Amino acid sequence: MENYTKYRLKSSEELIQTLAGTDHIFVVACNKCFKEFTSVYEPECDEFTALAKAGGKNVTGAIRVDFLCNKTQTLGRLRDIVPAETENVFVISCGLGIQTVADIVQLPVFAASNSIPCRGHHGMALTPKTCDACAQCYLNVTGGICPVVDCTKSLLNGQCGGAKDGKCEADPTKDCAWEKIQQRLSKLGRLEEFRDHPVQLRDYSKVNSKLIRDYVHTIRKKRFEGYYGGVHPSERKEMSEHVQLVRFPEPDVVVIPLSMHAGKPSVPLVKEGEHVRVGQRIGEQAGFIGASIHSSVSGTVLAVEERRHPTLGPGVLSVVIQNDKLNTVDESVRPHGDIEGLSPEEIVEIVKDNGIVGMGGAGFPAYVKLQPGKPIDAVLLNGCECEPMLTADYKVLLHYADDVIYGLRAIMKAVSAPRGVIVIEDNKPDAIAMLQEKTKGYENIEVLAVRTKYPQGAEKMLIKKVLGRSVPSGGLPADAGAVVSNVSSSKAIADAIRLGFPPIERVVCVTGERVHSPGNFIVKVGTSVQEILDFCGGIVGDDVTVKLGGPMMGIPQTELDVPVIKATNGIIAYEADHTIAVECIKCGRCADVCPMELFPLYFAKYVETGNIQGLKEQNIMDCMECRCCEYICSSKIPLVTKIREGKAAVRGMK
Amino acid sequence: MLITKLKSREDLQSLLPEKVFVLLCNGCKEVSFPEREIEELISEFLTADKVTGVLTTDYICNPENLSLRLKRRRAMIDEADGVLVFSCGVGVQTVSDLLEGRAVYAGCDTIRLPGFQGVTPLEYDCGQCGQCYLNLTGGICPVTACSKSLVNGQCGGAQNGRCEVDPNMECGWERIYRRLEAVGRLDAIKCPTQIRNFAIDANKSH
Repeated sequence: MENYTKYRLKSSEELIQTLAGTDHIFVVACNKCFKEFTSVYEPECDEFTALAKAGGKNVTGAIRVDFLCNKTQTLGRLRDIVPAETENVFVISCGLGIQTVADIVQLPVFAASNSIPCRGHHGMALTPKTCDACAQCYLNVTGGICPVVDCTKSLLNGQCGGAKDGKCEADPTKDCAWEKIQQRLSKLGRLEEFRDHPVQLRDYSKVNSKLIRDYVHTIRKKRFEGYYGGVHPSERKEMSEHVQLVRFPEPDVVVIPLSMHAGKPSVPLVKEGEHVRVGQRIGEQAGFIGASIHSSVSGTVLAVEERRHPTLGPGVLSVVIQNDKLNTVDESVRPHGDIEGLSPEEIVEIVKDNGIVGMGGAGFPAYVKLQPGKPIDAVLLNGCECEPMLTADYKVLLHYADDVIYGLRAIMKAVSAPRGVIVIEDNKPDAIAMLQEKTKGYENIEVLAVRTKYPQGAEKMLIKKVLGRSVPSGGLPADAGAVVSNVSSSKAIADAIRLGFPPIERVVCVTGERVHSPGNFIVKVGTSVQEILDFCGGIVGDDVTVKLGGPMMGIPQTELDVPVIKATNGIIAYEADHTIAVECIKCGRCADVCPMELFPLYFAKYVETGNIQGLKEQNIMDCMECRCCEYICSSKIPLVTKIREGKAAVRGMK
Repeated sequence: MLITKLKSREDLQSLLPEKVFVLLCNGCKEVSFPEREIEELISEFLTADKVTGVLTTDYICNPENLSLRLKRRRAMIDEADGVLVFSCGVGVQTVSDLLEGRAVYAGCDTIRLPGFQGVTPLEYDCGQCGQCYLNLTGGICPVTACSKSLVNGQCGGAQNGRCEVDPNMECGWERIYRRLEAVGRLDAIKCPTQIRNFAIDANKSH
């Protein structure tokens, strides 16, 4: 692999000269980028500090920073760290880092290093190929060999004639690029094509400084809008967003796991052979963090046995019910009146009795959220559905807008919140318009359209975006005065209050390039994923990845005979991607996209080396596993898997 | 960082052979990538029965992973008369190397942005000149902030603080002066004359 480190320390003589006349020095060193991440220790900082001390200088401190040019992160790192006695700051970095620091600190800043000159941009892999970004790609004409970077003279119309034995006359260590081009073209049989091509003129005016500056300005503004980081995966929602929401046919058998939530599995209340009805409680909540389970069909219990679970794997106790398809409703299912007539405690009780959990994927018991024990300024309803491909929440918004608003009002009453905000990404303009129209009558409820960016719908991001507050490290939304709920959960709360129905069915989006006929369905909890996929015409082709949930945070499935659970918002199938993980090259993109402002590259490194202290120092427990880092990783490192290992190691240490 | 810009339809049409395999790199699209325009163009090509297959992927500059991904599409590539690549110049060169013996076409032009790979485009730029002047200029780079890359003070052509070459640009040396004044280092300007050594060559230093 090439090493594209961007700087090297200036010579000692030059540094001694520069140091003359300065004192009380603070040293900032960048940990380098674009080299293999083989060591976390870069020696230049210590080398320079030793040199300054040997010259009798007072070094007030030194800090080693990752990706110094990342201004947001660097601002944070340098805040309150430069001692007051400091008079000069020496920076060891490429020119970008030095300029960043010079802009941040109000002190004289000196460069202790030179950038290493490099012709053109290399890619995101450390290969010898570079691109000069000339704005007028010639590779079409030259058989894919770049005349701008590979020819010392950047000649565009053939060789200069000075090459000797295939070597450049300006630099005999280099092959003549035009000889390479000639050979390549001749091999391709494209020599004639080249000869017929008009003479190429390089237009230096093509690079317009204003265009670039404006672009940089807008992209930076966009990038930091709402919160730091995030990614923009292709949305791919068009496959299912216009498919009508329909009821999925009654399944013959449902498998209802007794664990569909965070916390302890529920205790079964029914036995084999027993008859159950729709909405009947079949699993009793166990423990504070837990939820009760209800039957989604009427019929006969075939077994209470261990079955494969979509997120927990095999061996999860489940109730298997033969559906009599009569949909006989249990007598416990009855309306609870209206919000006005209910006390906050009663609402919490209804939510608890009905086993409502976060239906956006997390499955956290909703009744716990509704007892924050802290003053709540706003309830945020997440209708972002920032996961690519999925259109389940979108359909819920369009078809059950009134229920969603009703549920929101119930939550607001339960937590005494003066304000409710329904947050929807701007890729769903029809849903935004509809909700705006329907919330007109409620002064304390607003609809907020936000930019489409993943993970916009994550609790902490929503709070930052809407309230401008950060949830403290290790804290809950309530610590920032907010309760966040998914729109599907809100609808479930409305159903529980208005109709008395627990969440026994939900909207599931079935989509992906490899699903024969994508669709959106109201599916009974416990319906087999295989059955749903079969109904959609099955999976097309082989080598397919199937996930429950979206492509970012969804859980990959190896076997499809698993049931839809309360938190299943999507079933997706797309072509599997085959890559191999290579060594981290410190490209910095994971740190650039991490919405929690972490440095995921260290997690992978420290998990490998077993450095648990290092994992803690890098705040691994703050990671919410949104997978932005893994998505963007140019070395294809399975970062989330590593992070989970790392978290387990940190927990084990406690 | 880089922007990739779609080449004009006329350019592409005149270049391309009858049937192409299309390779689309989304690796750096967080920065700028004409995703929609390319999609439109591809669907036009598809309608015209010009395309044997499409692979949308990321970081095609990584030859290891690219070859893994191309393996499964060998038949589609074999069926085509050429491969059309939408990526920066590094990507096109990597594909050309990997598929040697096949005509590879660049669908995009690549434009340079301030900052290096991987980072969100920066307000700052570094010309990687190999002889950092930031010591003498209060941390504002004369190589990139002055359109003439003057290293010993302004040319005198600026008007109302604007560069004479490009009035959209502030005069880099006026910025440097202000910065030095603010940090009390105006004396730095009295340093010996700087001579830029263009002989420092990347390819030799590596």
